[in-house]
Amino acid sequence: EWKPNPAIKPHKKRSWYLAWKYKLMNQRALRKLCQTGAVLFLLVTVIVNIKLILDTRRAAYEEEEESAQDYDDELLNVEVARHPVSNKKVLDVEVYSSRSKVYVAVDETTVLEDEAREQGRGIHVIVLNQATGHVMAKRVFDTYSPHEDEAMVLFLNMVARGRILIFTIKDEGSFHLKDTAKNVLKSLGSQVAPFLSWRDMWTFVGKKGGEVYGEKHAKSPALSTWGDPVLLKTEVHLTSVEDAECHWPDTELNRRRKRFCSKVEGYGSVCSCKDPTPIEFNPDPLKDNKVFDVPVAVIAGNRPNYLYRMLRSLLSAQGVNPQMITVFIDGYYEEPMDVVELFGLSGIQHTPISIKNARVSQHYKASLTATFNLFPDAKFAVVLEEDLDISVDFFSFLSQSIHLLEEDESLYCISAWNDQGYEHTAEDPSLLYRVETMPGLGWVLRKSLYKDELEPKWPTPEKLWDWDMWMRMPEQRKGRECIIPDISRSYHFGIVGLNMNGYFHEAYFKKHKFNTIPNVQFKNVESLRKDAYETEIHRLLGEAEVLDHSKNPCEDSFVPDTEGRVYVMFIRMEQEADFTTWTQLAKCLHIWDLDVRGNHRGLWRLFRKKNHFLVVGVPASPYSAKKPSSVTPIYMEPPAKEEGAVAVPAVAAAEQT
Amino acid sequence: MQKINKNVVLALLSLTSLVFLLFQLYYYKFYLSQKNGAVLSKVRGGQLGQDSTKWHVVRKFLGLISSHNIPVYLIDPLILGLVDKDIEQIRSSPDGPSPECKYFCAPRDFTTFAVLDKTWKHEAGLFRTAEKMGFQWLKIINKDPRLDGMDDLSGIEIPLHYIFKLASHAIHLVIFYERSGNYLWHGPLRLKKHMDRKFVPFRKLHFGRYPGAYKKPELLLVSIDDLKVQIPKNPSSFLEEMSHSRFLECRYREARAFFQLYPDDASLDAVEFRKKAKSLLHLAALTLNNLGVKFWLSSGTCLGWYRQCNVIPHSKDVDLGVFIKDYKADIIPAFQKAGLPLKHKFGKVEDSLELSFQGEDDVKLDIFFFYEEVDHIWNGGTQAKSGKKFKYIFPKFTLCWTEFVELRVHVPCETLQYVEANYGPDWKVPVKTWDWKSSPSNVQYNGVWPVDEWDDVIQIY
Repeated sequence: EWKPNPAIKPHKKRSWYLAWKYKLMNQRALRKLCQTGAVLFLLVTVIVNIKLILDTRRAAYEEEEESAQDYDDELLNVEVARHPVSNKKVLDVEVYSSRSKVYVAVDETTVLEDEAREQGRGIHVIVLNQATGHVMAKRVFDTYSPHEDEAMVLFLNMVARGRILIFTIKDEGSFHLKDTAKNVLKSLGSQVAPFLSWRDMWTFVGKKGGEVYGEKHAKSPALSTWGDPVLLKTEVHLTSVEDAECHWPDTELNRRRKRFCSKVEGYGSVCSCKDPTPIEFNPDPLKDNKVFDVPVAVIAGNRPNYLYRMLRSLLSAQGVNPQMITVFIDGYYEEPMDVVELFGLSGIQHTPISIKNARVSQHYKASLTATFNLFPDAKFAVVLEEDLDISVDFFSFLSQSIHLLEEDESLYCISAWNDQGYEHTAEDPSLLYRVETMPGLGWVLRKSLYKDELEPKWPTPEKLWDWDMWMRMPEQRKGRECIIPDISRSYHFGIVGLNMNGYFHEAYFKKHKFNTIPNVQFKNVESLRKDAYETEIHRLLGEAEVLDHSKNPCEDSFVPDTEGRVYVMFIRMEQEADFTTWTQLAKCLHIWDLDVRGNHRGLWRLFRKKNHFLVVGVPASPYSAKKPSSVTPIYMEPPAKEEGAVAVPAVAAAEQT
Repeated sequence: MQKINKNVVLALLSLTSLVFLLFQLYYYKFYLSQKNGAVLSKVRGGQLGQDSTKWHVVRKFLGLISSHNIPVYLIDPLILGLVDKDIEQIRSSPDGPSPECKYFCAPRDFTTFAVLDKTWKHEAGLFRTAEKMGFQWLKIINKDPRLDGMDDLSGIEIPLHYIFKLASHAIHLVIFYERSGNYLWHGPLRLKKHMDRKFVPFRKLHFGRYPGAYKKPELLLVSIDDLKVQIPKNPSSFLEEMSHSRFLECRYREARAFFQLYPDDASLDAVEFRKKAKSLLHLAALTLNNLGVKFWLSSGTCLGWYRQCNVIPHSKDVDLGVFIKDYKADIIPAFQKAGLPLKHKFGKVEDSLELSFQGEDDVKLDIFFFYEEVDHIWNGGTQAKSGKKFKYIFPKFTLCWTEFVELRVHVPCETLQYVEANYGPDWKVPVKTWDWKSSPSNVQYNGVWPVDEWDDVIQIY
């Protein structure tokens, strides 16, 4: 008989499941319900999804809006395209030398091209970074002219070992290329350099202290013709970055140094790995410094090596306040800016306006205006140029004299430069003068003079005027005078410049006296006020011994062999603007004779053989009364026309730039 | 068989959507709670009123700053507002310990300090120390406006704002620059593309929406909440000044474009006139500021500022506007004392008042008084020989600071509308002949003065 077995239960369960399934399958309505439910689910999911997306987006948008709605910079910062980092290990270098054109191309990028007429004569040198191939320095040395070869040697010696050097000659590069320079080139691996001669063409690529990558040379067949153009194509192997860098301790200063040294070359020991020259100087502060808050504007062009030398001397001067220094660079030149940043100073670049002298003049105006804008509290500004050395007591000199500029309306400026202060004509570091001519070259400008008088009528760009000549015009100067030291507190070292060349510099600037004594106390500061100065001059003339007017004033024997005496001589000067005799005298004394400088009411003060030497123009000068009746003023004839033509009036304003 | 498959698919689909739905709901809820939570915690902090983290952050910041010898001063409007209420007590007891944290714990997102550019040292050391102390910082730099007017100078960018963030609080340090015209300027806060927009809620900053101009403040060293801090000597007047500090830069770029089209008059006459106009404006500003009379550049002088950032050389006078509510009877004697005799006086305080003073050789100073109506502002004109009245109507405007010929002066913030009302849509074209009775586009004939009033309303000296 069949009995139900409890073990059968699972079977029953399964059948229940099947039954349920079966039932479900058979109930269409229920199935439909399930399907609808699923669809609903799907729908809800979609809706929630959409809502979520919308919500998140709105919230995010709100937040963003909330954080910075009004604070977006409307000026989109255009990202500067970076040069792709090339992993290339080899550089293709092309160097061309010819009479009228030179060029250098590195990896098909032209890094130098000069085909301008009557420019760029001499040896062009390019320094490449041995790891990156970037141009670190570009120089041209006009070795056709004297002394340029010395500059080249100096430069080559400063270049760090391992750098890649490229040389090419344009036009002529051998006339004043002395043996020293030739030997340096030889030591770099050049085989041709020792035999370079008149109008040869030459190209050379080599690593300093290492291999030679190529050299080509074309001899000039005759004196009147040039060698054939040469084109050198070669390859240079790059090294690793680590090899090309120094390992200085990681400080703020060294970070600046590193940035600088990896970009440019030719600054010598500042980039040497061992014991680099400091870039911070910390000179002694000045006690009671009255010019600590006076802004200093350094007017610069594209002569970064000059700027480097200038800033070094400026930052070493006692009492300097680096925060007040601004360097104004005329043009978007990178290297001067690198120099400025090396010293941690602020620099401003100026889009060039106009040409030549007018460009300088516009740059001056922009720089002065900007200076007074940046330092609205300042009553004065110190104006310097990039080709000046600054004396260690420059600020001390200004600090002692600046109150005069504030108080004495009859003053036009204070200048650190004595136009007539040569080695043989300046003597007393503590002596100051009043002069009618504005020397410039490191001077102080009163804000009110600039803002009220000069700025509104500054020469417009189309007038090709020199700013300094313009400032010397009577309409601007209005009879006011400048204070200058006997021994200049600045030194003009610039040889290349708008109005400057080697010959000119040697004739007029090289022998200029420059003070190197710190903390000089000036002795006659108060007697520089308008009326006091007259008293002082009368006293001086009163004690002066009249020289023997029968002798030739150009001769050394004109002044007795004494020391510390005061002598006076009288020259003929028919009216205020008659400088005939003075110019001749200046010429034979080898002082500035291109125009009249350093006079005060027909009186010049200088030193001869360590004696104070006064020259009075009779009868135009009010001091003529001091002339003993027995003395006839000396008259010196201007030279005949042919000789006169030697004087170059165009360079009269040459000391600027 | 097919039917089963279909059902399985359906079930699977339902299941996944269910899972998804749950996940999304959960995520949504999580997101919401995060947002609300932030709001809630803020409210809680506010209710407590004693949030010592803020005080700690401020103390840390002051320590950082003083260790680098940088003199900052407090310009936070919220705190200065609280301080101002107790100013007498704070002044009298500069060192007294305070029983509770009353000021620096007040609920806020930021504490704002100011520093003068010349005392601010741009040293990396400060930021390194700040980072060591746990601060995150943000620097906002921009073009130097002091060089903006200059033709082609590209200066370095200057820092305008710094934000130091620590925990939930941030310090906003505003750099003030001295500018020509003897005032302090701070720049706008503008974020560059790559900057973190969520670094702090920038919108809640009190400084930086616009650039601002301020007097040089007198400072007072006080101790509040046991912290030594410099504050403006008179907080209430500082707060007042702050509410009207918005600064407009001259439109140098447009001015340059203008001069490209119409080259500047560089004649000696023009130079001389500009010089005189400038000194007259300086004198007028000095006189009115001493009296506490608020004024703005009006008519031709305003046009000169707006169009060419300079005095229009052929305008021949200097025009100022003053609200009639600021009129003071001392104005005339004050100008006379300053060496500017009254040339004529038209109208009366109740109606169409206008004063003219005689400056140095023929340069005239005109002061027009403006009358505010519900929907417009107007000033009046009078023709001396006929007694005719004219009315010049302007849309409503507020005043902003600007710099003009080395002077901080007011101009209407809505300058374009102001200039357009006065000179019409062609204001960009220089006009040499100008008739004040017919040329302005907003002039209206306004009747004639009654003859018996002429002695009073038409005074010519």
